Formats: sequence, structure tokens, C-alpha cells
Amino acid sequence: MGVLDGKVAVVTGSGRGIGRGIAMLYAAEGAKVIVNDPGVAVDGSGHDEGPAAQVANEIKAAGGEASPNFDSVAEFSGGENMVKQAVDTYGRIDILVNVAGILRDRMVFNMSHQEWDDVIAVHLKGHFNTIKPASVLMRQQRFGRIINFSSSSGLIGNTGQVNYGAAKAGIAGLTRGIARDLGRYGITVNAISPGAATRMTATVPDAARDLRAQAGVSGAASAAPVQESKFARRDPDDVAPMAGYLASDDAWNINGQVFYVNGGRVGLTNHPVPQDGVFKPGLWTMAELDDAVHNVMLKNKNNPAPPRDDMEIAGRDVAAKPLA
Amino acid sequence: MATPLEGRTILVTGAGRGIGSEVAKLAGSLGANVIVNDPGVNVDGTGHDDGPAATIAKEITDAGGNAAANFDTVATEAGGENMIKQAVDAYGRIDGVIHVAGILRDRMIFNMTEEEWDDVIAVHLTGYFNVAKPASVLMRQQRHGRIVGFSSGSGLRGNTGQGNYAAAKAGIAGATRCLARDLGRYGVTANAIAPGAATRMTATVPDASRELRAQAGIEGAVRRTSAVSELREPKYVAPMTVYLMTDQAWDVNGKVFNVSGGQVSVSHEVESYREIHKPDRWTIDELRDLVPSVLLAGLRNPAPPPDDLDIPGRATA
Repeated sequence: MGVLDGKVAVVTGSGRGIGRGIAMLYAAEGAKVIVNDPGVAVDGSGHDEGPAAQVANEIKAAGGEASPNFDSVAEFSGGENMVKQAVDTYGRIDILVNVAGILRDRMVFNMSHQEWDDVIAVHLKGHFNTIKPASVLMRQQRFGRIINFSSSSGLIGNTGQVNYGAAKAGIAGLTRGIARDLGRYGITVNAISPGAATRMTATVPDAARDLRAQAGVSGAASAAPVQESKFARRDPDDVAPMAGYLASDDAWNINGQVFYVNGGRVGLTNHPVPQDGVFKPGLWTMAELDDAVHNVMLKNKNNPAPPRDDMEIAGRDVAAKPLA
Repeated sequence: MATPLEGRTILVTGAGRGIGSEVAKLAGSLGANVIVNDPGVNVDGTGHDDGPAATIAKEITDAGGNAAANFDTVATEAGGENMIKQAVDAYGRIDGVIHVAGILRDRMIFNMTEEEWDDVIAVHLTGYFNVAKPASVLMRQQRHGRIVGFSSGSGLRGNTGQGNYAAAKAGIAGATRCLARDLGRYGVTANAIAPGAATRMTATVPDASRELRAQAGIEGAVRRTSAVSELREPKYVAPMTVYLMTDQAWDVNGKVFNVSGGQVSVSHEVESYREIHKPDRWTIDELRDLVPSVLLAGLRNPAPPPDDLDIPGRATA
């Protein structure tokens, strides 16, 4: 007996990496799984039915129930097809896990609109494309679990990933928003910000991380909120248990949260609530704000990518001078 | 009045009305050359009217400032490029980009159409890229620049009926954090403002529906009330936004500020603030014990199911 006995799940991007681990664990816990993966390259190009078919076969060989799906989440019809396949094959959909993603990394000043659009389409719109049709059915049956995938690239920030960071932070916002749309109907919506070594993270050369760190650019080498440790094992299969728990009946009242999962490190991220505020019963002046920003709001915060000391920066040497 | 923005050229999108118009006027009064962008659409993005941008540009020039109106949409690549090109053609450079433009297509997620999703993402989130991308090329070359995106409490903390808007607005905060890391080394800063103000956008949410949601126990629906709640005019958002354009703000980078009335604060940076550790893979059984008691202690479901709804797992919790 498993904690997901009788449940039907759709797991996008489950032909490889983190998604695969979740599909395998869900099946082992008794869920019937739609294994979605169009088998594209990390940049979204190509098509290969092998990965999804193989995972579905592995599940069946282990005595579980699974059906492969090769649609793209970037298409609205693709999301509908996955949900429809769950209903047609297994009679319902209880759990939706949105893992599918691609990378088109580039510094913003060199990024093409195509690179922006493609990443937003798969990650952010891809979440909408599956969530919309699934939420209709989940609301009717007064039960559902939606588990989305965010990233520290968006929550904390990273170089060369403005498209991915926008999409992944957007997914966290979407999660918080629709948790409030759906909670009343017995549905929970949460997100996981994973840390794992997969073919996606392998695209960032260690040399590039080191260079950025030397230049004082934060995020690249410190995406994890605390230092890497023996607990952060980076095995993609380590993400699955938390996704399994959030899908279980026991997690019925956990809603609208973003969890960090990396190996044996499981954390809850805070919401970006206001802090270190100042108040004036009227309009602020530039000089007052200069004082408030530097001495109150940013007292313990630094520039994540400061300009070099030898660069001429307007304002750097006159910070104390009143403006008006 | 002192003119700390003398010689700077700043683009303000959505500057024909509301917060954008106040930002544009303040920037103009502090000496900046302002590109006043606004296609004059309705709150839902329909229609077109050159009037609002033209009016604000005229107000700035009538007051002795420098401004030019632009009527392009920020939702297209060409629109964003035109705005930056107009700044360079008219004033020789672009120093600041402030992306205020936005529309609303509110709908509960289970009723939201693909078009309602696409339109909101296009104006807010892709609109941000459409202006930040061409601006960043020039700002990097001149080793100076300021980018400000507009986020929202709806995305940072959550709200009902705004899945599209919440995704876009949280996405803008995420994009800002990445822009800051791509551009900080070149003397360019990127920050975001999450504003609170009474404008025609917030007027679209009836007070009655806010109250209904609050009665149902859904968080985020009700406007927070405090001693400062009467200071809802959009002009209060302008000073902090414009401050980020000044030379003095050269080291303010990658932050999300909340501005409402006379209240200004910085958003807590996201971190994993409660953790459990194990030098091995967790089991679902272990997580069942530890997640509610350690990670979620004291936190509540922002939209809990009604007590009379049959919820698997509730009775055994």
C-alpha cells in the first residue's frame, strides 16, 4: 500500500532528471502516472519519444501503472491533451506536477526575443497550460494537488538567466495567487525550488561560476541560501519524496508555499514580505530617501554585482551630499 | 528646485495616467528629459488614445521641463525598441527605464482564457524585457543606467483571481534580480517597486468582492488598513521611484521596494528560512512528521477549505 493509492498524476518533463524521479516514486506509491516528455534537448529543440516511453515502461516493469505522453507544455492544446489522457486512461486527475523546462541562457544585452519567448513559453505559460484544464476538473471533484517548479535563479537571482529567472519567479507568484483561487475547493498549490545536478545545471560551466564569483557577482556560486554541505547531495531523485508528501492526503492543508529541496536539505522559503520600513506622513524628498535607503533599508544588504572600484561611477563619491 | 536629473533621459512606460504620470512629472521637474509612453488603452488593454501621453508630456513642457510623448505598446519587440530609439533620437541617450505600463484581465484560474493569460504576461512581463533589452545594450556601452520594474503585492504575496497578474508581477521581481546581476558590473542598476495606490486599476476590484473573500477566510483580498491608508494617491509612489534614477542610488541594485503613501520599505530577500536536514534521502513518512511541525509551524492555509467539505486526510491529521 502506498500513500498515493488510486490517485492519478500527470508529471510534465518526467522523461529525465527530477521529473523522472517523481514519476517513479509516485508509481511506487500506487499512483497511475501520465509520463509527459516530448524528449527535447535542454534548449527545447528536437523531439524524442524515447525518454517518456522508457520511464513508462520502467514503471510498468516494476508493477506500476503508467502511460507516456509526448505533447509540449508550451502549447495550450498540449496541456489539455495531457489532462485529457489522464481522464481517458484512468478516469480522473488528482495530481499535477509541472517539472518541464528548458534553458536559453544569455546575458540580457545579448538575449534575443526568441530566447526570451521560448523560455517563458515552456516554463511560465507551460504551467498555465496544464493548470487551467486540471483546475477545472479538480474544482469539480473538490480535490487536487498542484506542484509547480520554481528556482533560486528567480527567487534569489542569477546572471545570464533573465528569461529563466523571470519565468521561475513568476511560477512562485502564480503558485501564491492560485493557491488562493483553489484552496476553498480542497485543492492545494505549492512549489518546489530544487537543487540537483541534472543535464540542465550541467550547461553552466564551473569555470563560468568561478569567474563570476571572483568578480563579486553573487548568485552564481551562492544560489543555495546556505553553503553546500553533506546534506545537499544534488541527486535529482532526492527531490521526489517532498513532491510525494505534498501530493499525499496528509498534506491537505499545506497551500501556497514554496519549498526548497536539495538532497537531504528541505526548507521553507519566506514570502518577500516588507521589512525595514520608513514612514513619513507626506511626500518624501530625494535627500530624505537617500538617507532612508542607505541607513535603514539597505543597511544590511549589498549590491549583488557591484561595479569595479576603478570604474567612474556618477554618485559614488558624493553619497553623503544632499540632493535638494 | 534642484535638478539632480539634469541631462538624464528617462523613459516611463504607462505614463499617461496613474502612477506612471506622477513618476514622469516628478522626473521632469527634477531636470530629466522624459519619454512619456502610453498607448492610452483601457484597463483591459483594449482601445488606443494618444491623449493621455500627450497631455502629460505637455504638462511637463508647460512647467519648463523636457518631454516627448510616445504612443507605442510595450507588448511588442518593435514597440520597446521604438521607445528607446525615440529617447536617443530626441535627447541623444537613454539613462533610465521605468516600466509602469500594465493591464488587468482578472479571472479565477479555472475560468481564465488563454488570451487573458497571454495579454497580461505580454504587457507586464514581456513588456519589461521589450524595453530593458534594447536599453541595456546602450546602458552597458555608456557604463551608466537605471532600470526599474513594477512588481506587486499580488505576485509577491498572492491574491485571488489574478493568476496571470501574479505570475507577471512576481516574474518582474525575478527578472529584476537577474538584470541586477547581469548589469551591475557595468554601472547599471535594476530595482523594482511594488506600489500601493488607488488608481483606475485597483478600482476594478469591487469592495464587496474583497469583503466576501475575507469572510471566506481567503488572505490577501482585503486592503490593509492603517494610519496611512488615506495616503492612496499615486503621487506618493513617485519619489522613491525617481530616487532610484539619481546618481546617489548608484549602489542600490537588485532590490524590491514597497511604496504606498508615505510608507517605504524593502522586500525581504527570499531565502530558505526554516530547514530540516538529513545526510540521506528523506522518506515520505519522515516528511509527514517534520514538515507540518517544523517547516510550517504557526503558518496557515491562505484559503482553507470550508469545515463541511469532505477532505481526505483532514480527519487523520
